Amino acid sequence: MSRPVASRADNPLRDPRDRRLPRIPDPCALVVFGVTGDLATKKLLPAVYDLASRGLLPPGFALFGFARRDWDTRDFKRFARNAVIAHARTEFSEDVWSRLADCLCFTSGSFDDDDAFDEMAKTLDELETVHGTRGNAAFYLAVPPDAFPPVLRQLQRTKLCDTTPLGGWRRVVVEKPFGHDLKSARELNTLVDDVFTGHDVFRIDHYLGKETVQNLLALRFANTLFEPLWNAHYVDSVQITMAEDVGIESRAGFYDATGAARDVLQNHLLQLLALCAMEEPVSFDAESLRIEKRKVLNAISLPSDHERYAVRGQYLQGWLAGRRVPGYLAEPDVPSNSTTETYAAVRLGVETRRWAGVPFYLRAGKRLPRRVTEIAVVFKRAPHLPFAATDTVELGQNQLVIRVQPDEGVTLRFGSKVPGPSVEVREVSMDFLYGEAFTESSPEAYERLVLDVLLGDKTLFPDREEVEASWEVIDPLEEFWSGRPPHTYRAGEWGPIAANTMVERDGRVWRRP
Amino acid sequence: MAPSVSTTLWDTTGNAITAALAAERRQAGAIGAGQALTLVIVAAEDQVSAAERAATAAAEAHPSRLLIVVRRQPDTPNRLDAEVAIGGRLGPAEAVVMRMYGRLALHAESVVLPLLAPDAPVVTWWHGPPPDEIAADPLGILAGRRVTDCSLADDPIAALHQRAADYARGDTDLAWTRITPWRALLAGAFDAFDGVAGTVTSVRVTAEAGNPSAALLRGWLSARLGVDAECVDDGGPGITSAEIRVEPPSGAERVVAVHRPDGRSAVLSVSGELDHQLPLPRRQLGALLTEELRRLDPDLVYGEALAAATGMDHRDLEARPSERRHIWRDPMQATG
Ligand SMILES: NC(=O)c1ccc[n+]([C@@H]2O[C@H](COP(=O)([O-])OP(=O)(O)OC[C@H]3O[C@@H](n4cnc5c(N)ncnc54)[C@H](OP(=O)(O)O)[C@@H]3O)[C@@H](O)[C@H]2O)c1
Repeated sequence: MSRPVASRADNPLRDPRDRRLPRIPDPCALVVFGVTGDLATKKLLPAVYDLASRGLLPPGFALFGFARRDWDTRDFKRFARNAVIAHARTEFSEDVWSRLADCLCFTSGSFDDDDAFDEMAKTLDELETVHGTRGNAAFYLAVPPDAFPPVLRQLQRTKLCDTTPLGGWRRVVVEKPFGHDLKSARELNTLVDDVFTGHDVFRIDHYLGKETVQNLLALRFANTLFEPLWNAHYVDSVQITMAEDVGIESRAGFYDATGAARDVLQNHLLQLLALCAMEEPVSFDAESLRIEKRKVLNAISLPSDHERYAVRGQYLQGWLAGRRVPGYLAEPDVPSNSTTETYAAVRLGVETRRWAGVPFYLRAGKRLPRRVTEIAVVFKRAPHLPFAATDTVELGQNQLVIRVQPDEGVTLRFGSKVPGPSVEVREVSMDFLYGEAFTESSPEAYERLVLDVLLGDKTLFPDREEVEASWEVIDPLEEFWSGRPPHTYRAGEWGPIAANTMVERDGRVWRRP
Repeated sequence: MAPSVSTTLWDTTGNAITAALAAERRQAGAIGAGQALTLVIVAAEDQVSAAERAATAAAEAHPSRLLIVVRRQPDTPNRLDAEVAIGGRLGPAEAVVMRMYGRLALHAESVVLPLLAPDAPVVTWWHGPPPDEIAADPLGILAGRRVTDCSLADDPIAALHQRAADYARGDTDLAWTRITPWRALLAGAFDAFDGVAGTVTSVRVTAEAGNPSAALLRGWLSARLGVDAECVDDGGPGITSAEIRVEPPSGAERVVAVHRPDGRSAVLSVSGELDHQLPLPRRQLGALLTEELRRLDPDLVYGEALAAATGMDHRDLEARPSERRHIWRDPMQATG
């Protein structure tokens, strides 16, 4: 995806033709709340290191950690170093690390601790002079969702969100979940927009940071080959799948209150749907892209028959990859009468001229046979086949599959003659593989997104309206599901039988990813 | 995981190599899919393994077909040896390493042409002293992008002048690639520097003598800032500093400077601001090649810097046709 050219009109060393020079953010501080957490350890700290080792951090930079642990900056450096060694993508170098370590500092405190925040505000002012961060700061809320409001209020109280005294910018990064329904999402949005301004709020949907997802736009809009077919005349249906083989790991508390629909359907899957179904944006800037995504999200229609077309499930004990795994209710810390879904499948429509009548089948689940995320565009059958009926029994429908992960790439499935004297047509596939070996060296989603936050580029971040439009899709489903027990499926199966019945009723089958 | 396969052919023919490559592609299956470009590498025998390592690293970012050509003595009997490898020793790419003896070495394109990935861009990289005239090497003619490395010449500065004399759009040199981090740092400092509105009064680069990257850095700064930058020998290692003096409309002179005395980490200083220490390591060949393959359109900014570094008019360089015609030169006659 293109981004604005990295030139500042008055900088004589910048030239739009000079594509080697990267854009480097303004001097700034990145403040991470919850810096001891899973997200910070596995993703954020490594991403910051990777940016440093690619030379993409500004000269005046500071990373400021905040968490409850009774640490000093030295402890924090040791912790961050281990996180970087364990999880960074680029090779560990002492030179890069020691320079980055100079930029780290830590404040210990709880979110209801006014003193700690006052202390942090003071330190941040000092950073200004010690590191030359020029009053620019991004606040990353890597904390559980119930901690968002207290942290935001503290930022308001200490005026840390306010740029007026120093100039420069103040941005806030919010992780999913953005609320748990429309009402709570609105409240959260109103709160962040009130503390910061709407323009300075960055909501992370890390799927949008993935190369293949961005490549979807290149595939659709940089080619002539696909777009003419990308409509209800030629497309029979679209299947969007996000399957995970893992269970809920140690996140029972969070997951049991959330479930598959709120956890991934509301954000990742609906974003994939929006990118797949949207009209061509007039340009690839943040605003044009969001206008088109928003239109699609607003045009989504729910099935009129929820019973048949909105299926949720919960895994039972089963076998997965040669290992016996417990059922959801037997996972540690899950209440034994929980009705939370670990699988959700739904048929949606997109009520536009392009898509009217084309079903979009979305499914997401845990403990499915393998980890895979993909978008499959299934085309209609040829209206007439000049072959004997027996020659084409093995011919399915043409498919274009965008594999988001793993094995990033594109597959085209089409009919081909079986070599030999008789005319028999069967399905074959043509693969474009941006295989593991080729993507190892491309940036990780968080690396890209953290850089974009510091650059202030909002192209890959869903905005408030998108989030609220997505909840408008999910809320009625949740309401229908509440109080009804989920269907069950064995761990290691592709979801409950009811989900298969759902598509079979329409004369279709799920693609086996 | 797709299988990795490799075949070695002794005293063979171009046709046999083409057939072996096709057979291995069939055997390896999907791994051969999705070639974005063909990279032709011309290397001397003692440089082959360094070139292979760099190409393997670059192929991880840019799916490519590697054709490595090693030209041996032209005064021996004609002979062609080849190794064809897919997904093996040379990383995920499809790779053919060819050793050409005798007069065959002067007609390497006859073996290489049928091996180019269909309709994909071709990049030729000389890992060794750059040819005087790219047009005299048929392996340069067939490439849309030609990458040389003046730092490997006996006299790198003379080689740089020769690159300018021989320049056509689509040429680049790794001496230029090496200074991207320097340029990024300086451009970034200017982004943040409010004194840009002023007039640049002087620019100074210090480096070891005869460093072509320093010459190009000086050229780039001269071309962009409209002053005649100077280059001072201080023994290195490599480039050790770049300093730009700016006269603002009012107030005192400001200096933007990057110092890297040890070839590893640099100090960025801007007057009136804090100093910043940054890693600025000299990069591996693989990283340079990866950067080089990211964009395959002509690098006009390089043309400009090269012209300024060698005292030529960049409009003359840009006006030259980007397609070259082959010029026949027989090394046997030249030496004999
Ligand atoms: N983990 C992921 O891969 C992932 C992916 C997508 C989105 N997210 C989202 O990212 C956020 C963080 O997730 P996580 O997995 O990193 O959570 P986590 O492992 O539970 O970490 C939470 C962090 O917040 C701190 N914290 C919690 N309550 C606090 C309080 N009252 N005062 C001060 N510090 C407090 C914790 O500090 P202590 O160490 O002192 O407890 C810890 O550093 C969540 O909103 C989550 O939904 C996570």
